[in-house]
Amino acid sequence: MAGGYSLSAGGITIANQAVTLTWVNPIASPNLDLSFRRFWINQSNNMTAVNLRWQLNTQVTAFPTVVNQAPNKLAIADSASLITGNTTGAAGTCGINASLENAGAKTIIYADSFNTTNGALLVLTPEEIIEMAAGAASGLGMHLPVAPGTLTGWVFGCVWTED
Amino acid sequence: MSDDNHLLIGRANGHLFRREDKTESYVVIPPAHIITDSDGAAWTFGFKYNGYGEINVLRNDVDTGEFAERIEYRRGQVRIFGKAGWRTFSRSRRHFI
Repeated sequence: MAGGYSLSAGGITIANQAVTLTWVNPIASPNLDLSFRRFWINQSNNMTAVNLRWQLNTQVTAFPTVVNQAPNKLAIADSASLITGNTTGAAGTCGINASLENAGAKTIIYADSFNTTNGALLVLTPEEIIEMAAGAASGLGMHLPVAPGTLTGWVFGCVWTED
Repeated sequence: MSDDNHLLIGRANGHLFRREDKTESYVVIPPAHIITDSDGAAWTFGFKYNGYGEINVLRNDVDTGEFAERIEYRRGQVRIFGKAGWRTFSRSRRHFI
Protein backbone atom coordinates (compact mmCIF):
# COMPACT_ATOMS: atom_id res chain seq x y z
CA MET A 1 0.00 0.00 0.00
CA ALA A 2 0.98 3.62 -0.43
CA GLY A 3 3.38 2.97 -3.25
CA GLY A 4 3.65 3.02 -7.01
CA TYR A 5 2.46 0.11 -9.11
CA SER A 6 2.47 -0.86 -12.76
CA LEU A 7 0.30 -3.10 -14.87
CA SER A 8 2.33 -3.77 -17.97
CA ALA A 9 2.60 -6.39 -20.69
CA GLY A 10 4.47 -7.00 -23.92
CA GLY A 11 4.37 -9.32 -26.90
CA ILE A 12 0.60 -9.46 -26.60
CA THR A 13 -1.65 -10.66 -29.42
CA ILE A 14 -5.01 -8.98 -29.26
CA ALA A 15 -8.32 -9.99 -30.79
CA ASN A 16 -9.47 -8.44 -34.05
CA GLN A 17 -11.94 -6.12 -32.34
CA ALA A 18 -12.05 -3.14 -30.03
CA VAL A 19 -10.00 -4.15 -27.00
CA THR A 20 -9.44 -2.88 -23.49
CA LEU A 21 -5.69 -3.31 -23.01
CA THR A 22 -5.38 -2.54 -19.31
CA TRP A 23 -8.18 -2.56 -16.80
CA VAL A 24 -7.95 -1.46 -13.16
CA ASN A 25 -10.95 -1.32 -10.85
CA PRO A 26 -10.64 0.45 -7.45
CA ILE A 27 -11.16 -1.52 -4.28
CA ALA A 28 -14.23 -1.18 -2.06
CA SER A 29 -14.38 1.77 0.30
CA PRO A 30 -12.99 2.64 2.79
CA ASN A 31 -9.50 2.17 1.42
CA LEU A 32 -6.80 3.95 -0.54
CA ASP A 33 -7.60 5.75 -3.77
CA LEU A 34 -5.77 5.07 -7.03
CA SER A 35 -3.96 7.98 -8.73
CA PHE A 36 -3.05 7.17 -12.32
CA ARG A 37 0.20 8.80 -13.42
CA ARG A 38 1.18 7.28 -16.73
CA PHE A 39 -0.07 5.26 -19.68
CA TRP A 40 1.80 3.92 -22.69
CA ILE A 41 1.08 1.86 -25.73
CA ASN A 42 3.35 0.67 -28.52
CA GLN A 43 3.87 -2.06 -31.04
CA SER A 44 7.16 -3.93 -30.97
CA ASN A 45 7.02 -5.74 -34.31
CA ASN A 46 8.38 -4.30 -37.51
CA MET A 47 5.29 -3.05 -39.29
CA THR A 48 3.97 -0.38 -41.60
CA ALA A 49 3.27 2.84 -39.76
CA VAL A 50 -0.40 3.62 -39.34
CA ASN A 51 -2.27 5.99 -37.09
CA LEU A 52 -4.42 4.33 -34.50
CA ARG A 53 -6.93 5.73 -32.03
CA TRP A 54 -6.65 5.01 -28.33
CA GLN A 55 -8.57 6.23 -25.33
CA LEU A 56 -8.92 6.10 -21.59
CA ASN A 57 -12.38 5.39 -20.36
CA THR A 58 -14.27 4.46 -17.28
CA GLN A 59 -16.71 1.58 -17.40
CA VAL A 60 -19.47 0.61 -15.03
CA THR A 61 -20.69 -2.95 -14.56
CA ALA A 62 -20.75 -5.22 -16.51
CA PHE A 63 -16.98 -4.93 -16.56
CA PRO A 64 -14.72 -6.31 -19.29
CA THR A 65 -13.54 -9.92 -19.17
CA VAL A 66 -9.76 -9.72 -19.07
CA VAL A 67 -6.66 -11.86 -18.77
CA ASN A 68 -5.56 -12.18 -15.15
CA GLN A 69 -2.42 -10.20 -14.46
CA ALA A 70 -1.30 -8.86 -11.10
CA PRO A 71 0.27 -5.42 -10.73
CA ASN A 72 3.98 -5.05 -9.97
CA LYS A 73 5.35 -2.63 -7.43
CA LEU A 74 7.83 -0.06 -8.71
CA ALA A 75 9.85 0.06 -5.49
CA ILE A 76 10.88 -3.21 -3.91
CA ALA A 77 10.48 -1.72 -0.44
CA ASP A 78 6.78 -1.07 -0.97
CA SER A 79 4.00 -3.37 0.09
CA ALA A 80 2.04 -5.28 -2.52
CA SER A 81 -0.74 -3.45 -4.30
CA LEU A 82 -4.28 -3.43 -2.96
CA ILE A 83 -5.32 -4.50 -6.43
CA THR A 84 -5.07 -8.16 -7.42
CA GLY A 85 -5.15 -9.85 -10.78
CA ASN A 86 -8.42 -11.40 -11.87
CA THR A 87 -10.39 -12.14 -15.00
CA THR A 88 -13.70 -10.64 -13.93
CA GLY A 89 -12.76 -6.97 -13.82
CA ALA A 90 -14.54 -6.68 -10.47
CA ALA A 91 -13.75 -4.08 -7.81
CA GLY A 92 -10.24 -4.44 -6.41
CA THR A 93 -8.93 -6.32 -9.44
CA CYS A 94 -7.02 -5.67 -12.62
CA GLY A 95 -6.18 -7.43 -15.86
CA ILE A 96 -5.09 -6.99 -19.45
CA ASN A 97 -6.14 -7.73 -23.02
CA ALA A 98 -9.90 -8.04 -22.66
CA SER A 99 -11.55 -10.86 -24.57
CA LEU A 100 -15.03 -9.44 -23.97
CA GLU A 101 -15.85 -5.79 -23.45
CA ASN A 102 -19.25 -6.65 -21.92
CA ALA A 103 -22.21 -4.35 -21.61
CA GLY A 104 -21.13 -1.72 -19.09
CA ALA A 105 -21.30 1.82 -20.44
CA LYS A 106 -17.96 3.44 -21.22
CA THR A 107 -17.25 7.11 -20.58
CA ILE A 108 -14.33 8.48 -22.53
CA ILE A 109 -12.12 10.73 -20.43
CA TYR A 110 -9.16 10.99 -22.80
CA ALA A 111 -8.99 10.23 -26.51
CA ASP A 112 -6.02 10.49 -28.81
CA SER A 113 -4.34 8.78 -31.72
CA PHE A 114 -0.77 7.68 -32.28
CA ASN A 115 1.59 6.42 -34.92
CA THR A 116 2.24 2.74 -34.33
CA THR A 117 5.99 3.00 -34.92
CA ASN A 118 6.33 5.79 -32.36
CA GLY A 119 3.77 4.61 -29.84
CA ALA A 120 2.12 6.84 -27.28
CA LEU A 121 3.19 7.95 -23.83
CA LEU A 122 0.88 9.92 -21.58
CA VAL A 123 2.54 11.33 -18.47
CA LEU A 124 -0.07 13.19 -16.51
CA THR A 125 0.90 16.43 -14.83
CA PRO A 126 -0.09 16.79 -11.17
CA GLU A 127 -3.21 18.74 -12.13
CA GLU A 128 -4.24 16.06 -14.61
CA ILE A 129 -3.74 12.95 -12.51
CA ILE A 130 -6.71 10.63 -12.88
CA GLU A 131 -8.13 9.76 -9.49
CA MET A 132 -10.17 6.61 -9.06
CA ALA A 133 -11.55 6.65 -5.55
CA ALA A 134 -12.00 3.53 -3.46
CA GLY A 135 -15.59 2.39 -3.74
CA ALA A 136 -16.08 3.95 -7.17
CA ALA A 137 -18.73 2.26 -9.30
CA SER A 138 -16.46 2.15 -12.33
CA GLY A 139 -12.98 1.00 -13.30
CA LEU A 140 -10.50 2.60 -15.65
CA GLY A 141 -9.48 1.06 -18.94
CA MET A 142 -6.98 1.88 -21.66
CA HIS A 143 -8.84 1.03 -24.80
CA LEU A 144 -8.35 0.59 -28.53
CA PRO A 145 -11.74 1.51 -29.99
CA VAL A 146 -10.77 0.16 -33.39
CA ALA A 147 -8.88 -3.07 -34.06
CA PRO A 148 -5.36 -2.42 -35.37
CA GLY A 149 -4.19 -3.86 -38.67
CA THR A 150 -1.45 -5.83 -36.93
CA LEU A 151 -2.67 -7.79 -33.93
CA THR A 152 0.63 -9.13 -32.60
CA GLY A 153 3.48 -7.64 -30.57
CA TRP A 154 1.57 -5.08 -28.50
CA VAL A 155 3.28 -3.48 -25.54
CA PHE A 156 1.30 -1.36 -23.11
CA GLY A 157 0.88 -0.48 -19.49
CA CYS A 158 -0.09 2.01 -16.85
CA VAL A 159 1.27 3.26 -13.54
CA TRP A 160 -0.65 4.36 -10.49
CA THR A 161 -0.02 5.21 -6.88
CA GLU A 162 -2.16 4.21 -3.92
CA ASP A 163 -2.56 6.96 -1.39
CA MET B 1 22.16 -4.46 -31.88
CA SER B 2 20.93 -6.01 -35.11
CA ASP B 3 20.40 -9.45 -36.57
CA ASP B 4 19.80 -8.14 -40.07
CA ASN B 5 21.46 -5.38 -42.04
CA HIS B 6 18.16 -3.67 -42.54
CA LEU B 7 16.53 -4.23 -39.19
CA LEU B 8 16.95 -1.96 -36.19
CA ILE B 9 16.50 -3.71 -32.88
CA GLY B 10 16.28 -1.96 -29.54
CA ARG B 11 15.00 -2.73 -26.08
CA ALA B 12 12.41 -0.83 -24.11
CA ASN B 13 10.33 -1.79 -21.08
CA GLY B 14 12.02 -5.20 -21.17
CA HIS B 15 10.86 -5.98 -24.69
CA LEU B 16 12.67 -6.03 -28.03
CA PHE B 17 11.45 -3.46 -30.53
CA ARG B 18 12.10 -4.11 -34.21
CA ARG B 19 11.97 -1.30 -36.73
CA GLU B 20 12.71 -1.13 -40.42
CA ASP B 21 13.55 2.58 -40.26
CA LYS B 22 14.85 5.00 -37.71
CA THR B 23 12.38 7.45 -36.22
CA GLU B 24 11.48 10.48 -38.31
CA SER B 25 12.81 13.90 -37.36
CA TYR B 26 10.92 15.99 -34.81
CA VAL B 27 9.32 13.04 -33.08
CA VAL B 28 9.19 13.93 -29.39
CA ILE B 29 8.72 11.84 -26.26
CA PRO B 30 6.09 12.46 -24.94
CA PRO B 31 3.62 12.12 -26.71
CA ALA B 32 5.59 9.45 -28.57
CA HIS B 33 6.63 6.48 -26.47
CA ILE B 34 9.83 5.45 -28.22
CA ILE B 35 12.53 6.83 -30.49
CA THR B 36 14.65 4.49 -32.59
CA ASP B 37 17.97 6.01 -33.65
CA SER B 38 20.19 4.94 -36.54
CA ASP B 39 21.97 2.42 -34.27
CA GLY B 40 18.64 0.79 -33.58
CA ALA B 41 18.80 1.96 -29.98
CA ALA B 42 15.44 2.51 -28.32
CA TRP B 43 15.07 5.71 -26.30
CA THR B 44 12.41 5.93 -23.63
CA PHE B 45 11.69 7.46 -20.25
CA GLY B 46 12.14 5.43 -17.08
CA PHE B 47 10.18 5.65 -13.84
CA LYS B 48 12.48 7.90 -11.80
CA TYR B 49 11.74 11.58 -11.26
CA ASN B 50 13.92 14.33 -9.92
CA GLY B 51 12.74 17.43 -8.14
CA TYR B 52 12.32 19.41 -11.37
CA GLY B 53 9.61 17.34 -13.00
CA GLU B 54 12.16 15.55 -15.15
CA ILE B 55 12.26 11.81 -15.83
CA ASN B 56 15.30 9.59 -16.26
CA VAL B 57 16.34 8.89 -19.84
CA LEU B 58 16.84 5.29 -20.92
CA ARG B 59 18.72 3.95 -23.94
CA ASN B 60 17.91 0.30 -24.61
CA ASP B 61 16.52 0.09 -21.06
CA VAL B 62 19.82 1.29 -19.61
CA ASP B 63 19.71 4.45 -17.53
CA THR B 64 21.84 7.15 -19.15
CA GLY B 65 22.13 9.02 -15.86
CA GLU B 66 20.34 11.98 -17.40
CA PHE B 67 16.98 13.51 -16.54
CA ALA B 68 14.85 15.41 -19.02
CA GLU B 69 11.35 16.68 -19.76
CA ARG B 70 11.40 15.48 -23.35
CA ILE B 71 13.45 13.48 -25.81
CA GLU B 72 13.53 14.53 -29.44
CA TYR B 73 14.99 13.05 -32.61
CA ARG B 74 16.16 15.66 -35.09
CA ARG B 75 18.48 15.36 -38.07
CA GLY B 76 19.74 11.99 -36.93
CA GLN B 77 20.54 13.12 -33.42
CA VAL B 78 18.88 12.39 -30.11
CA ARG B 79 18.35 15.54 -28.08
CA ILE B 80 16.98 15.94 -24.59
CA PHE B 81 15.45 19.02 -23.02
CA GLY B 82 15.46 19.82 -19.33
CA LYS B 83 16.45 22.48 -16.85
CA ALA B 84 19.94 22.50 -18.42
CA GLY B 85 18.40 23.36 -21.81
CA TRP B 86 18.85 21.31 -24.96
CA ARG B 87 21.61 18.72 -25.01
CA THR B 88 22.61 16.35 -27.79
CA PHE B 89 23.77 12.75 -27.55
CA SER B 90 27.41 12.65 -28.59
CA ARG B 91 28.70 10.88 -31.66
CA SER B 92 30.75 8.70 -29.32
CA ARG B 93 27.46 7.36 -27.90
CA ARG B 94 28.66 8.14 -24.39
CA HIS B 95 27.52 11.59 -23.30
CA PHE B 96 24.98 14.33 -23.67
CA ILE B 97 26.68 17.57 -24.61
